[in-house]
Amino acid sequence: MGGTLAGGTDLMDDVAPVPDPLPVHLVIRGLSKRFGQTRVLSDIALGMPKGELLTLLGPSGCGKTTLLRQIAGLAQPDTGSIVLDGRDITHLPPHRRSVGVVFQNYALFPHLNVAGNVAFGLKLQKKSRAEVEAAVKRTLALVHLDHLADRPIRALSGGQQQRVALARALAVEPSVLLFDEALSALDRKLREAMQGELRRLLREIGATAIFVTHDQEEALTMSDRVAVMHQGRIEQLADPKTLYDRPATAFALSFVGQSLQIRGKVTSSEAGYSTIATEIGQVLAPRAFLPGSEVIVATRPEHVRLCEGDNTLMGKVRAVTYQGPRSLVEIEAGTARILAELSGREVPPEPGRTVLFSWPASETLVYPAGEGA
Amino acid sequence: MTAPAPLLPLDRETRLALGLASPAFLILAALFILPLALLLAVSLQGAEGLSLAAYAKLLGTPHYLKIIWNSLSLALIVTGISLLIGYPASFAIARAKGHWRSLMLACLFLPLAASVIVKAFAWTILLRSTGIVNQTLLFLGIIDQPIRMIFTETALVVGAVNIFLPFMVLPIFSVVAQFDRRLSEAAATLGANPLQAFLKVILPVTMPGVIAGVALVFSLSVSAYVVPTLLIGERFPTLASTIAKSYLLTREEAFGAASGVVLLAIAVAVVMLSARFGREGRR
Repeated sequence: MGGTLAGGTDLMDDVAPVPDPLPVHLVIRGLSKRFGQTRVLSDIALGMPKGELLTLLGPSGCGKTTLLRQIAGLAQPDTGSIVLDGRDITHLPPHRRSVGVVFQNYALFPHLNVAGNVAFGLKLQKKSRAEVEAAVKRTLALVHLDHLADRPIRALSGGQQQRVALARALAVEPSVLLFDEALSALDRKLREAMQGELRRLLREIGATAIFVTHDQEEALTMSDRVAVMHQGRIEQLADPKTLYDRPATAFALSFVGQSLQIRGKVTSSEAGYSTIATEIGQVLAPRAFLPGSEVIVATRPEHVRLCEGDNTLMGKVRAVTYQGPRSLVEIEAGTARILAELSGREVPPEPGRTVLFSWPASETLVYPAGEGA
Repeated sequence: MTAPAPLLPLDRETRLALGLASPAFLILAALFILPLALLLAVSLQGAEGLSLAAYAKLLGTPHYLKIIWNSLSLALIVTGISLLIGYPASFAIARAKGHWRSLMLACLFLPLAASVIVKAFAWTILLRSTGIVNQTLLFLGIIDQPIRMIFTETALVVGAVNIFLPFMVLPIFSVVAQFDRRLSEAAATLGANPLQAFLKVILPVTMPGVIAGVALVFSLSVSAYVVPTLLIGERFPTLASTIAKSYLLTREEAFGAASGVVLLAIAVAVVMLSARFGREGRR
């Protein structure tokens, strides 16, 4: 009796209308996976509208590649479901899912030339020869490789191979495209160029795509939303600006952007602000805590000014890194290290000098100690 | 007017490669090409000067054509069965982990340490009427009388496959071990079912190993002498036994040499054909 009732409630939850005004394209619910005693994925939930570019960001071993492989059908979850375009694909084999993958080292077919690789999936779709040829031509033009159609794979550069892998996946017009560290094998300059180009291209064709990367810059530039993953969980799912400005956890803070963290203890808390005693002085933070709580405070380098303000502290300049349009000043205060970013017009202080520095109380990031990181 | 092209327009790398290959080439020339030339010369020797009599006898007599067919069919069957066993076995070994892989490789390659004569004799002992196979079947009551196993075509094929199988597995395994499994995953995400992924990706990518294995096992079994002699004997004459007989018993050296040339031609032709077939499969 109780079981029936519980089943009924579950069903109700499942058919509840999605409040999101955008049509939800890919829905992942309660996805979990264990390898022996290790939980590689814990209760992952994710919804993506059509046309969204999403990044799974995290250190190696955080579960991001495992999640990607499960979406592609190359691995099976223990529990949970994956629904694509209203179709439950959780237990479908990869070839019946319409999920494209661009692999880390491209996994191009060495026995086929460029056109052969791109035509591979099209030929399986039982298209006519003319249709296949036209689609290959069109897709190769999209990635600017139409002049290399007859080249063997081994005669291509890394960047060209990357484009072939992309064209091969695009050609079959999958419902969702997955990129497994697909840009990481390219050198920095090429990678940055590819990032911009890939984003434009995916937007142009309205593709829904998930990138897996450990490169935070790639995550911030490529995607509409970023899911920061840590120990098999999604720690924060947010647009790049929110993620950078307001990291939800100390781990998200440490993984995205530069910041240095100081430990402290809350002395008082009122009107949504807490006063925190740290070893280098008092800091005001825009979040309420119980007095006595151990916390971690931090701020982004671009908010730190070498003058008095809300949170004025004192420290010694340890090093100055000149980076062209800006310089990064590393300030030592007690055991803490604070980074301050100066614009190129400001003259950075000499290393060894004692300086006053501050940042606005509203830009203080504060997290309960012992969380993540 | 353009400058005349040099006789051998070689770049640095090609010259280096030729230089490195030359010692091997010289040894092969002295130990292989020279004797072959001698063989050819002997095969063309008639009573008075040059003659194709030996070839005419070999290729014009039904008895000898049957012998050529014996060698050829034995080699084809042994190669085919070895491939059917060896190809999946190579995958099993390549996918096995740690100790299992070492154990499987040891099982496959340790027998190579024993001479082919020893192994062929071992089969005659196993298969004879008082051998362990017949005794077991009798004991289990599956048969009432020992069945004749030794000196049959079946015994020959079983023994030959057993002895030549490692030469099929080794080259295939070396290719399969390097096969990137993500290639089959990529095929699957592009819509290929497991059979299509096998036929369109796994098989063509591992084809060089298959060609090498087929070439090795075919040339070994088409020219096998010890195995047919011990496992089937006079009932099943082969080109190899004909060569031995004409040199050792009948002293027809020209005929023996001609048989050798034909045997070599068959082996080379099949190896070249399989290589060509394999290359086309990769297109």
